[in-house]
Amino acid sequence: MSHKILVVDDDNALREMVGIVLESEGFEVAFHDAGSGALDKFNAEVPDLVLLDVMLPGKTGIEVCREIRAVSGTPIIMLTAKTESDDVVLGLEAGADDYVVKPFDPGVLTARIRARLRPLAGSSAEGTVKIGPLTLDIEGHEVRRGSEKISLTPLEFSLLLALAQKPNLVFSRAMLLEKVWGYRHNDDTRLVNVHVQRLRSKIEDDPDNPKIVTTVRGVGYKAGQG
Amino acid sequence: MRFRGVASWAISLFRRYLQVRAVFSTVVITGIALTIVGGFLSYSIGGGLFSTRQAQVLAESERAVVEVQNTFAASSVSNEVALQTLMNTIVPSIESTGTTNSRRVALIRSPGQATGQVLQSPISADLDTKVIPANLRVKVRASAGKLLYQSISLPVAGNEHPGIVVGAPIQIPLAGNYEFYLVFDLNSEQQTLDFVQRTLFFGGLILLFMIGAISFFVTDWLVRPVRLAAEVSEQLSEGALDRRLPERGEDIIAILARSFNKMAQSLQSQITQLASLSKMQQRFVSDVSHELRTPLTTIKLAGDMIFAGRDTLSPPVKRSAELMHDQIERFEALLNDLLEISRYDAGAVIADLEMQDLNGVVGMAIAGIEPLAMSKGSEILIEIPQGPVDAEMDSRRIERLLRNLLANAIEHGEGKPIRVAVGVSESAVAVTVTDEGVGMTRAEVDRVFDRFWRADPARKRTTGGTGLGLAISLEDTHLHDGWLQVWAKPNEGASFRLTLPRRKGMIFTQSPLPLPPKKSKKRSDA
Repeated sequence: MSHKILVVDDDNALREMVGIVLESEGFEVAFHDAGSGALDKFNAEVPDLVLLDVMLPGKTGIEVCREIRAVSGTPIIMLTAKTESDDVVLGLEAGADDYVVKPFDPGVLTARIRARLRPLAGSSAEGTVKIGPLTLDIEGHEVRRGSEKISLTPLEFSLLLALAQKPNLVFSRAMLLEKVWGYRHNDDTRLVNVHVQRLRSKIEDDPDNPKIVTTVRGVGYKAGQG
Repeated sequence: MRFRGVASWAISLFRRYLQVRAVFSTVVITGIALTIVGGFLSYSIGGGLFSTRQAQVLAESERAVVEVQNTFAASSVSNEVALQTLMNTIVPSIESTGTTNSRRVALIRSPGQATGQVLQSPISADLDTKVIPANLRVKVRASAGKLLYQSISLPVAGNEHPGIVVGAPIQIPLAGNYEFYLVFDLNSEQQTLDFVQRTLFFGGLILLFMIGAISFFVTDWLVRPVRLAAEVSEQLSEGALDRRLPERGEDIIAILARSFNKMAQSLQSQITQLASLSKMQQRFVSDVSHELRTPLTTIKLAGDMIFAGRDTLSPPVKRSAELMHDQIERFEALLNDLLEISRYDAGAVIADLEMQDLNGVVGMAIAGIEPLAMSKGSEILIEIPQGPVDAEMDSRRIERLLRNLLANAIEHGEGKPIRVAVGVSESAVAVTVTDEGVGMTRAEVDRVFDRFWRADPARKRTTGGTGLGLAISLEDTHLHDGWLQVWAKPNEGASFRLTLPRRKGMIFTQSPLPLPPKKSKKRSDA
């Protein structure tokens, strides 16, 4: 079964070219050319992954990202021309799972897409994992606090699961990048930091004073308290 | 010690404040002028008082002498008792006449006469005849009836009063030659003079104080706008370009304020204009770089597509695809460097400092460049100290910088060995990258960090640098508060030395490694 990818970019040539690359890699591709209407297109197509340009007419990619996140956990990869922190961090904070900086290699793009589409890390296991007040149902991709269901994106679930399966083991950011994002030799710590912040804002009682996912200064993160 | 402290404080005050200097000078000069004027006044008032009194004294004395002489001449006393009685009445009568009763009288028989003394000399009760100077008495005896006087000091109740003695010889029938003396006490004149001097002194002091105060207020009034101008220009120089002086009135200060403000205005507009031009320029470079990214992405994707399928193409088209693929990569590198330099120009670069082992960073840079070195046949020789060389640095930038230096050395090294050395001291770490290639002239060394500058435009470019590498390297070095220096000699080679502080803010005055590097032939295998 081929995955369907929605490409949202206002540049016709780039959109078509990305389509050619993705189709040659065996993906099914849908297109949209503006920020406005992107959510409708998303709802109509129900893609497995969204490639989203940051600079879009009508609505910025950041806003579109936030809209999609409000209704779905579908993986989103931002296409950004700027490597300045602001753009990248804004996109990640709006809920993007990853980002690719223009100009990118076709290889890098497809690798990132595949990393987001492959089965979640650790999800081959069965049953449930408990961490603090939370219960993770691995097969159902669900997190519950008591009977209350917490809505996490697949990436956030994967991040929490990676930490929760080895409680009290300290994960460095590079380890998490490899385990959760599927990267090797990448030290983009922003990606990890922003997602840990997003995860905390959903699962912690007080995100500024986390109890479930704690920071180990100078090393990384771990599940459970010191 | 304390006095010295106060003195140095006063001197520093004096040096620092124009106003203190002005007030001090005014007070000193006024003090001198007042002393001169007061001295003159006191002298002429004293002289005037004395001469008036003296004239009066002489006139009174003249009358008294004539009166006494006449009294004796006109009397018809015939015996000594009657004469004595007459004499005894004369003295009190003379004492009590005249303008002041502060005079004393003495009728003294001249010494050295043939006839014996038959009469008592009448003398005022509180007069000591010793105050009459002996030389005056001699002169009076020889004066043939003329009036003589002399200033004396008169002891009165333990105090010395200034006084005048006036004397004249007198002929007394039956009794012979006598000397008649009138002693005047000038104490009241002295008191008047003292009072005048005291008044002058205190008046002068008050005047001096008031002039000091007035000069303080006047100079303050004059200096204040100047001080304000100084403060405002200080703030202007610190970058507060919108500061201005208040413009009031039509006087010289107002003119100063107006022209000062005009100057500040033109400065501000020029600086703002320059800043906005420079900002526009930076924005332009940054925008162009960003705008180029989207089409470049398409070109890159298309190029890669074509490159991946090059085996199905005819040989000329296949070669074209290969060339295009390489040049797209070069284009991308150039764009990235342009963006990086525009970030530096915009001041938007922040160092991500972390403790790192410089040996490790050097190793990573060499590992990254090794394929290029191999393809050029350049051997890389390493000389590093034992153990980790810790320093605070942005390792991504330093690694890129070192890769840049290495690529440069490989390009200009003509296949000869390239030496890399690491040095460390208390406060600094250093790396030198040395080649034995074509080298550079003095003039070329001076331009080596310029953007897009090439040592020899005619020379064939082989490694495809962007021309911005060393300019970015220099910016990276400045970001770390370090040094990036170069030594080169034509046909002997070039050496670049990077020196970084071990911790942010550490001051170093010397690099741990020499430049040019010493010619060591010691070899260690990479």
